[in-house]
Amino acid sequence: MSTQDLLVFDNVSFSYNEDDENPSFAVKDVSFSVRKGEFLVILGHNGSGKSTLAKLSNAIFIPTTGKVFVNGMDTSLPENEIPVRKNVGVVFQNPDNQIVSSIVEEDVAFGPENLAVDPKEIRIRVDEALKAVGMYERRFSETHRLSGGQKQRVAIAGIIAMRPGCIVLDEPTAMLDPKGRADVLNTIRALNKDHGISVVLITHFMEEAVYADRVLVIDQARIRAVGKPREIFSQREMLKECGLELPDTAKLCDKLRDRGIGIRDDILTEEELIAEIIKRSGK
Amino acid sequence: MIRDITIGQFFPGKSLIHKLDPRAKILLTILYIVSLFICRNFFSLILMLGFAIACVLISAISPGLIWKSLRSIIFIVLFTSALQLFYNNDGDVLWKPFEDHKFCITTGGVYSAVFLAVRIISLILFTSLLTYTTSPNMLTDAIERLLSPLKLFRIKVHSLAMMMTIALRFIPTLINEIDIIMSAQKARGASLDNGSIAKRMKAMTSVFIPLFVSAFRRAADLAVAMECRCYTDGANRTRLKVMRFSILDYLAFAVVILLCFAAIFTTYYHFSDSLLFKAVLK
Repeated sequence: MSTQDLLVFDNVSFSYNEDDENPSFAVKDVSFSVRKGEFLVILGHNGSGKSTLAKLSNAIFIPTTGKVFVNGMDTSLPENEIPVRKNVGVVFQNPDNQIVSSIVEEDVAFGPENLAVDPKEIRIRVDEALKAVGMYERRFSETHRLSGGQKQRVAIAGIIAMRPGCIVLDEPTAMLDPKGRADVLNTIRALNKDHGISVVLITHFMEEAVYADRVLVIDQARIRAVGKPREIFSQREMLKECGLELPDTAKLCDKLRDRGIGIRDDILTEEELIAEIIKRSGK
Repeated sequence: MIRDITIGQFFPGKSLIHKLDPRAKILLTILYIVSLFICRNFFSLILMLGFAIACVLISAISPGLIWKSLRSIIFIVLFTSALQLFYNNDGDVLWKPFEDHKFCITTGGVYSAVFLAVRIISLILFTSLLTYTTSPNMLTDAIERLLSPLKLFRIKVHSLAMMMTIALRFIPTLINEIDIIMSAQKARGASLDNGSIAKRMKAMTSVFIPLFVSAFRRAADLAVAMECRCYTDGANRTRLKVMRFSILDYLAFAVVILLCFAAIFTTYYHFSDSLLFKAVLK
């Protein structure tokens, strides 16, 4: 564990029925760490235990065995609860169930208010957070009038107003339309790139893993693979076993290869594929 | 239909009424209601109605919205007025359909029917202004601060205010959900709009049970989300918006207190307009 690591899972297991004779584990022997400024994507099929990871990361759940550390603080100690949650913010799937207040800016202020931040400082943080997610113009809007993607961006603003070092997003795009999904993903990438916030994106959409620094594949409560997106994406068999569907670009590459067109096997994005096709047809 | 409910909704604006401190607005509303029930004659009542209308105009809330909130209570107004019309038998008899029966309409009946209608309308006009011009959160904030002396009796004022905030926040969400569930049940062949009242009530259980289940699920999710944002018991929270009484608030208090005195004065000093009213009727 180095000082660069914001969030560390050290051999963590978690069971919802630990008192039973044969406890079943939602998370089993998981170890990984999130470095400062890193964009980590955790990929997993439904029921793989990935949502439990989100709740383990900020002391909502305490590991059955093993430890989770946030900035070196053990999440299992009650006195660390608030500092841990201040450092690791979690955004969930359903934006409707995370918004506390009927007005956008009042909702974003909820976190800093709980942390007893000075009102003037709250104002600054709320404005900053709303600008960072591109919702500053809608700060006086009623939350129920926003679209799903906008609500989710407000929920993200509510977390970054607490100034955490790391945000964990648990399937933030699962309930959104394509436009909302694109907006939220762009917001997440901008927060990571421009504001240096570490991001852990938990998802089952493989195309969301394309821009990650590192991808972690989780299956049946255990870590199945860790690596750069290109390394992970090329392990087609393993991904299929984990119940994950390849992005359209990768599927197209596979089909082209089946037809005997020798395309590079490390292509991830549409742009790369287009460039490759143009290059080959130009010959 | 169900989306038309406007009571308890906030319409942002920049009018003088919007700028008043929400605590002042709550106290002023209470003062207004008290004055309204002090009124015993039309001089004072017209004064109160006039003030309510003036406030509505200042607030720049669109007349359509005001009409919407009035429309929802029109039945209550008509019903209570009708009761007054038949139960008050003072004054001269205007209409007596049955010779051998006590039942009749008198000038006193008409008087109290109109009086009550105007009183209820003024009441709704003024009180709906409170929720139209104040954000729900400012409102609960204000209630929390006004009730804070109750902390001495170990009442958890903050928790109550938090419950109100969340309840208000979820009203539109749950209304939307009712719409969805009703459509879903109709698609499965439920007949929610036909049959006797008893039958319809029974059919509604197929809407309310899924609604409750979903509400509990939402509550569980929200509790976790609030914990993630460091919510504890609210003991040491600060606030984004600091409330401070301004000159505007003191002025508003002065105006309403004056109005209150005017109501008392016109009620208790000889302005007996029931005589006048009777003269008009004749």
